Amino acid sequence: MKRLPTYGFLLFIFLVMGCFFVYPIYHTVREAFTRPGGGFTLEYVGHIFGNPLYREGLGNALKMAAGSTLGALILALPLALLSARFTFPGKALLSALVLVPLILPPFVGTIGVKQILGQHGALNALLAPGAIAHGYPPDWLGHGRLLGVVLMNALHLYPILYLNIAASLANLDPALDEAAENLGCPPWRRFWRITLPLAMPGIFAGASLVFIWGFTELGVPLMFDFPRVTSVQIFDGIKEIGGNPLPYALVAIMLVASLLLFLLSKFLFGRSDFAGGGRASMAAQTPRLRGIQGWLATGGFAAITLLAVLPHLGVTLTSLAADWNDAALPSGFTLQHYRDALSHGLTVPSILNSLKYAGLATAIDVVLGLAIAWIVVRTRLPGRHLLDSLAMLPIAVPGLVLAFGYLAMTREGQPFDWLIGPQEDPCWIIVIAYAIRRLPYVVRSASAGLQQTSVSLEEAAQNLGCTPWRSLCRITLPLIAANLIAGALLAFSFGMLEVSDSLILAQKGEHFPITKAIYNLNGALGNGEALASALGVWAMVFLSITLLGVGLLLGKKMGALFRA
Amino acid sequence: MVSIQIRHLTKHFGSTLALDDVNLTIESGEMFFLLGPSGCGKTTLLRHIAGFSTPDQGQLLFDQRDVTRLPPHKRNTAMMFQSYALWPHLDVGQNVAFGLEERRLPRAQIETRVQESLQMVRMGHLADRKINQLSGGQQQRVALARSLAVRPDALLLDEPLSNLDAKLRLEMRSEIRRICKQFGVTAVYVTHDQKEALHLADRIAVMEQGAISQVGTPREVFRAPRTASVASFIGEANFLPGDCIAAAGPGRQATARTAHGHFTGRLTDPTWHPQPGEPVRLCLRPEALRFGESPYLPNTIRGRLVDSIYLGELAQYAVQDAAGTTFHVSELNPANPRPADASEVSLTVSPDDVMILRA
Repeated sequence: MKRLPTYGFLLFIFLVMGCFFVYPIYHTVREAFTRPGGGFTLEYVGHIFGNPLYREGLGNALKMAAGSTLGALILALPLALLSARFTFPGKALLSALVLVPLILPPFVGTIGVKQILGQHGALNALLAPGAIAHGYPPDWLGHGRLLGVVLMNALHLYPILYLNIAASLANLDPALDEAAENLGCPPWRRFWRITLPLAMPGIFAGASLVFIWGFTELGVPLMFDFPRVTSVQIFDGIKEIGGNPLPYALVAIMLVASLLLFLLSKFLFGRSDFAGGGRASMAAQTPRLRGIQGWLATGGFAAITLLAVLPHLGVTLTSLAADWNDAALPSGFTLQHYRDALSHGLTVPSILNSLKYAGLATAIDVVLGLAIAWIVVRTRLPGRHLLDSLAMLPIAVPGLVLAFGYLAMTREGQPFDWLIGPQEDPCWIIVIAYAIRRLPYVVRSASAGLQQTSVSLEEAAQNLGCTPWRSLCRITLPLIAANLIAGALLAFSFGMLEVSDSLILAQKGEHFPITKAIYNLNGALGNGEALASALGVWAMVFLSITLLGVGLLLGKKMGALFRA
Repeated sequence: MVSIQIRHLTKHFGSTLALDDVNLTIESGEMFFLLGPSGCGKTTLLRHIAGFSTPDQGQLLFDQRDVTRLPPHKRNTAMMFQSYALWPHLDVGQNVAFGLEERRLPRAQIETRVQESLQMVRMGHLADRKINQLSGGQQQRVALARSLAVRPDALLLDEPLSNLDAKLRLEMRSEIRRICKQFGVTAVYVTHDQKEALHLADRIAVMEQGAISQVGTPREVFRAPRTASVASFIGEANFLPGDCIAAAGPGRQATARTAHGHFTGRLTDPTWHPQPGEPVRLCLRPEALRFGESPYLPNTIRGRLVDSIYLGELAQYAVQDAAGTTFHVSELNPANPRPADASEVSLTVSPDDVMILRA
């Protein structure tokens, strides 16, 4: 590559990240520490910690995060170990189904979970019909609904952990395990002494993502009517955003907490002591579990998967139910909700909006992500390490923080108000929000691909008379296509399911993305939940088709996608 | 130290036959080599001895004790992996201590053994190093120390030198033999490098397509290969077809008629008694052929010198006969290498250097 254009591009990326990542955060943080007339103050932050309501919110957010992480870990670790080490009946299908929770926005899933586990839900109808009659059915979701929020988060987020752990297990040289076996270490001790420590970076990488996600989750507590948690308090605070600096202070606290966590996990496991595990010198042999053992493995795997599709099931049934109250199953089925949902003025535009927002954001991510990965992996430009950290940081920054920043910096009179324009069309700002937040996934998968692709392959092409640009197109891109598509796919589906940016940034009905449309429908009187479920099912179907289509396109490489 | 007996070991991977009725006896304290081209099943056999694979049929005995179904961690073998398989989350000392901890040795004894083993491989001063701070040769030494620290009944080495550069490889070769002999451990060593095998082995088993072709000392497999493939895998070989005229007498001498007249040589397979008229194949090593004076003596090949390569310590020539067959000849310490001028030459070979094999 010629030097000058590369530098130009580097500068451009820094400019983009500066305007749409650093600046909005700065804007938010500044508001939190500036008194009305100007000048630094700690008054607002002090006020937050002085107010028991906000203190409780922060405590609940921490509980939500810790509970979600623990729950996801309990679900994901055994599954990842099982599928990394053994072959059992139905393994291919089951390990594909692990990804199913990703196709349903968790806050839609809450509708289904409430239908099944709520006080007047299906489970109580099955287990204790008498209790319902007496008016004191057990509440499976727990006092204050925190348990329900945690369960929902864990069920939705465990695939992220699963993919991380499975990837780190798959990259281990099987000889490392065999060497321990050979030196007299029985299987169970081998797990504790070799496998677990070596998988720790994967576990921690996944767990810190899940923790931050759980810490700042907005949709699920909102749908569970669980207002005493920081994210919902911030959301409620927007209504009075003009004058009230307290939401900003809350956002700043949330940001600091997330960043601290992220840095802690980097500090603990970011060092390269573990990186020497090396590539496998031979393919791992996964023994086939037979008979009882095999079916136990299959059964356990299937049970967890079934648990994870409980929300989907509930949502689907709700959307089809003519009436479903205090009963194990709906008393009758109807397609009326689908007709109603489709004919609702919000529905079709919101689907089109979501496609537009997520599609544009993904396109931006692929271009930016590939360029960043290329600069970081393949060049020796000064500033590439800074670029790398900057591009990965959105993972640690809660969506709420950024959404807040975007909102603030595009208000009338602010430097970026032209992005919304006089029509107040938030299209571009939403696209940018989606793109920035998902950029790390694309960068990470693209750089993994580049690192695994030897430079000498490119050099061989150039040696045979290929220009650097053409060698990128003809050699490198085809080789890392699977990685890029994986990253793009994650970016797209997370974009379609995005909640916090969508709820905060889209203010008018005609600009609603699908998630905000579902949220609004759910609040409608009468059959609101059924309508929202119907739309949720549409979203599910649509995302499944997307994932399936990519799977077909890629054939066997699909599995390798998430191992990048 | 154990002796290892392998009886009728057979293993299929899908439809391919990876081990085909393998029978071997490895003596206690012996340095035994499995040698063969890649894909011949030598690593598979080694993994059976370690217990990472179980055979479809057959038995594996350590000192008459049947271990065929014993899991790897109860076999007390120690394997040196091709990739070394050093655990990156443990340092050098912890890697070496691992197997001793698994054997529940007292702490003090573990420490002395770790030091002892590391000193044996001359790594005593690096016990606190991280694995990824070591060079390839150092990692190799740590892997060896880790294997030997547990005082295994058998040491299994899977191409341990293949990841080292040429110079280091030569150095470590002698080192491994010294250390193994010092411990007196039974060692099974897998390699495709015939020089390594000839240099280090007490005995060698040559493998081909999952089966053992021949077992013997380095001198036996080199001087008396029983099949053409063993002859061409260990060392270089020229082949000349012929018919047996007479096979008899002490020293298992035999005479054959070929396109280059009569050749006298020795039969290498003691179980084979060719009848007069039976087709045979003569094997002539390039270094056994000498440029001769008279073209009319027995054991002589006539042809034209078509190629000449000067390699310093030796010169390699190619001689083509009238039928177009090429013979390779090596001349040690050539003072005046012959030019490849297509001149008529004759090559003679001593009867002791003519090996007569099945056609």
